[in-house]
Amino acid sequence: METFDLIVVGAGIVGLSTAWRARKAGARVLVLDKGATAYEASSRATGLLSLCGASPLEAPLAQEAEKLWDRLDEDLGYPTEWSQKGRLWVAITPAELDELKILFQTFQRTYDDFEFVDAQTCRSIVPPLTPETQGGIYTRRSGNANPQRTSQAFAWAFQDLGGEIREHTPVLEILAEGGRVKGVRTPQGEVHAASVVVCAGAHAAPLLAPLGLLFPVAPVRFDAFVTTPLPPLFEAALVVHGLAVRQTLRGNIHLNGGPHEWVEAGVANDMPKPVTPLVRNIARRLIEVFPGLRGAQMLRSWAGILDVTPDQATIVHAFDTPAGLIACSSAGHGFGMAPSLGLALSDLALHGKTAMPVADLSLARFARLPKDWRRAWNWQAGNYNT
Amino acid sequence: MSDRMPLRVTVIGASDAGCALALKAQAAGHQVTLVDEHPQTMAQMSFDAPWFYGAALPAALMNANAIAQVVLEANPGIFACSEAGIDVRVGTIAWGAFQNGPNSRHIGAPKVGLVDAEGNALLDHDVLILTPGVRDFVPSFQGAELPGVFGVKAGVALLDLYQCYEGERTVVLGTSARAVDFVRRALARGVAVVGMVEPGAVFAAGEAARAEIAALGVPVQFGSALVAAEGKVAVTGARLRDLSSGAETVLDCDSLCLAIGALPNIELPAAMGCRMRFDAGAGSWLPETDAAGRTSLDNVFWLSGFASGGADPDAVLAAMAEGGPMGAAQPAPATATDQGAYLRRWIEVLNATGGGAVTLCKCESVTREAFLGLAPPAYLQGSLRQPKSPVTGAGDGPRLHQDLTKRMTRVGMGHCQGRRCRDEAALLLSLRFGIGMEEIRPGSYRFPVRPLDLSLIAADEPPGLRWSYWLHDPEPVLD
Repeated sequence: METFDLIVVGAGIVGLSTAWRARKAGARVLVLDKGATAYEASSRATGLLSLCGASPLEAPLAQEAEKLWDRLDEDLGYPTEWSQKGRLWVAITPAELDELKILFQTFQRTYDDFEFVDAQTCRSIVPPLTPETQGGIYTRRSGNANPQRTSQAFAWAFQDLGGEIREHTPVLEILAEGGRVKGVRTPQGEVHAASVVVCAGAHAAPLLAPLGLLFPVAPVRFDAFVTTPLPPLFEAALVVHGLAVRQTLRGNIHLNGGPHEWVEAGVANDMPKPVTPLVRNIARRLIEVFPGLRGAQMLRSWAGILDVTPDQATIVHAFDTPAGLIACSSAGHGFGMAPSLGLALSDLALHGKTAMPVADLSLARFARLPKDWRRAWNWQAGNYNT
Repeated sequence: MSDRMPLRVTVIGASDAGCALALKAQAAGHQVTLVDEHPQTMAQMSFDAPWFYGAALPAALMNANAIAQVVLEANPGIFACSEAGIDVRVGTIAWGAFQNGPNSRHIGAPKVGLVDAEGNALLDHDVLILTPGVRDFVPSFQGAELPGVFGVKAGVALLDLYQCYEGERTVVLGTSARAVDFVRRALARGVAVVGMVEPGAVFAAGEAARAEIAALGVPVQFGSALVAAEGKVAVTGARLRDLSSGAETVLDCDSLCLAIGALPNIELPAAMGCRMRFDAGAGSWLPETDAAGRTSLDNVFWLSGFASGGADPDAVLAAMAEGGPMGAAQPAPATATDQGAYLRRWIEVLNATGGGAVTLCKCESVTREAFLGLAPPAYLQGSLRQPKSPVTGAGDGPRLHQDLTKRMTRVGMGHCQGRRCRDEAALLLSLRFGIGMEEIRPGSYRFPVRPLDLSLIAADEPPGLRWSYWLHDPEPVLD
C-alpha cells in the first residue's frame, strides 16, 4: 500500500504551491489530478495579485503573498513573468466614479497604500485610456504574472525536489476511518496518507459531501480572451468597465469580464468550458476603454471555471473530523495568493498550525449558512451571477 | 415524415461538397445559408490562414472589388447556389459556433458567429454543415520567412483565382498530387518551374504523374532535401542537399512553392468540442463522424475530402431531416496516398539537414531546439533551472500534451494561430520523443478561428444582460 505524508488533491497552482512547500519541508508528497497539470482555473486566470483591499478577511494573506512573489522566480527556478507595477481601478462614467469613492473608503480601512487619482493621472499610468476617464484608485503595489507559466513553475520546482505528480488520476473518494483521514481512492486503487489537502476548485464540494462535510462553493464559468501582441502600452493591471485587464510581457492584452454563469460540478468529472458570444461584448467594452485598440485583433478566447464562496473570500479549513483533512477554496483569488496559501496549507497539514494569517478564513464564518444556500440565493446552474 | 422541416441549414465552406449539399438542401425545401471566407481581405491573407501567402503579397490584391468579382466568377458552385436563391455570404468568416450544453445554457438556438468586412452577426441554425476545405502544410527551414516562399494553396490562388502570381522561376517542394497540379497551372501561366524537390526515390503522386512531369520538361531532384531558401530581401535560390552524397546545389529561383501537403481546416469542430481522432493517412486530426457525416455534436456534420468514409450527400440530407445523435464512428478510409507518412518524412529530413537552430515558430521566433527543450521565450531572458521534458503523461491520459509545449515555449500562440508551426511541432515531438501521433494531445483550438479586428467582432450587449462594474456584485447578506 502506497503511503505518503501528504496527498494533495488538485494540481492547480494552490495545490502545487502547497505540495512544493511541504516537499521543501521534507515531507513525502503526492499530487493527484483528474487531468493535466494546471489545466483548470489556474491556466485560465487573468494572472493578477489582488491586495484584497475590499476583503479584510483576505488582505493579510494577500500581503504575505506579495512578499513571496518578489522572490518566486528565484525560489522556484523557473520564470513566472511576475511584474509588480501596480493596479488601477478606473471609472469612465460619473456614476462609476461615485462607486469608486465608496470602494476607496473600504480599501482605506485595510491599507494605506491606495490613492484616489484624477483622470489625468489615470491616463498617465495607462495612456491608451479613453478620454471619458473620470478618475480612479491606484496602488503601486499588487502585480501580475503569467498564470500558465507560474503554475508550471511550481510543478517543476516540486518535481525537482523529488515530488510526484500523477496526472489523469482522479480522486474518486476521500477515505477516513476512526475520525481521521486515511487517504484517497483512485481508479488505480487506494493511496494512504496522514494528511489530505483538497485544492480541487469546483470539484471540492462533491468530494467532501460524502463525508458529511458542507463545503460551500459554487462554480462559475467565465469568458476571457487575449489580443494579438501589441507594443508595450501600460504596466499596471486594470479593473475598468466590468473588465480585468493586463498587458502581458509578450504584448497581448489579456482580459476577462462579463456575467459569469453558475455551473454544476461532480467528483472529478470533465467540465466542458465553452466560450460564448459574450466575448463580442467584452471586445466592445475593451474598445470603449481603449479606443485606440480598435484595430487590434482578438486572437484567442477561452472559458474558465472558478469556485466562488458565499462571501467571495478564500476558505482555508482544517476539519476536526476527519482529522488530517484540509480544504481550500480560493474563490477566484487563488492565483495571486498561491504563494502564501501554499505555505499555510502545508503548515496546517504537516504541523497542525501556521503563522500565515488564515484563522479568519475557516468555515466557522459560515456556521449559519443554510444548507440550500445556493438555491436560496439563486446561485444555481444556468443562471448568471449578476 | 419528420417534423423538422424546413430546417435552417448553415453550410460553412463553399467547397464542391459544400455547394453540392447546399443545392440539394435548398431543393429539399430547407432554408440554406452558405458561408465562405474567400475572398479574404489582404489583412486576413497576411495572417497566412488558411493559405500560406508568405511575406510577399502582390500589390494587385489590394483591389478588393476586382478580387471579389474574380472569385465569384471562378467558383461555379457559388454561382449556382446564388442562382438557386441560397443566401450566399462570401468574404465571411465563421469564427465560432455555439449551442446550449452542460455549462452554457444561454445560447438559445445553435448559432454561428460570422464576421465580414462590415461587422458581425450571429446566425441561428438547426443544422450546421462543416466543409471548410484545407490549409497549407507549412514546414520550417532556413529562409522560410523570405518573400517568395508560399504554400501550394496560396500559389494556386495567386495563379488562377487572383491571377497576380509574380514569380518567374519557381522551385516546388514535394511531388504530391497538389504539387503536380500547381506545376501544370504555373506552366500554363508561363511560369518557369525550375525543379521539384523530393527526398524519396519515388514520385509521390505516382508513376503516371512522374511521366507527365518528365514530358513537361520539369526536372525532379530525387533523394534531395531543401537546406535553405537563399536571398537577402527575397528568395533568389533554393539550396538543396543530396541525401546520399551530401553534395549541395543551388537552384536559381525567385519563388518557392511548398507543395508537400494540405491539411483539413479542423479548427471549428475541434474548438466546438467534437470528438477528434488522429488519421494517420491524412496526417491530421479529424472529427469522428458516422456514415452520414454526423459528428459527436448534435446536428453538426463534417464533410471533406478527408472525411472518415466521405459521407454521401443524400445520406447527409436524410440524416439532417431525421436528427439524432452520431452513430458508429467510421474508420478512416483507405486512401491512395499516405500523406501522413509523407509529411513526417519531410519533417524528418528538413530537421536533419537544417538542425535545431532553424526557426520553427515564425510568429514568436522560437527555434526547433528551444521548442523541444521547453525553453522559455527569449524576451524573458531566463532559462530553466533543470532541463524539462514535455512527456508528462502515463496511464490513461495522453503521454504528451501539446498545450504544455505551447504554453511554455509559445509555439502556436502567435498571430497565425499555429497554422505555420503546429503540425511540424507535433511531428518533431513525435520524432524526438518516440511517441506516436495518436498518443499526443494536439494543441487546443480556440475561437475565433481567425484573428478578428476588435472593431469587427465587437457587439452590443443583449438587452437585459446585467454586467457588474467591479467584477463581482456585492454578495448576498449572510444574516
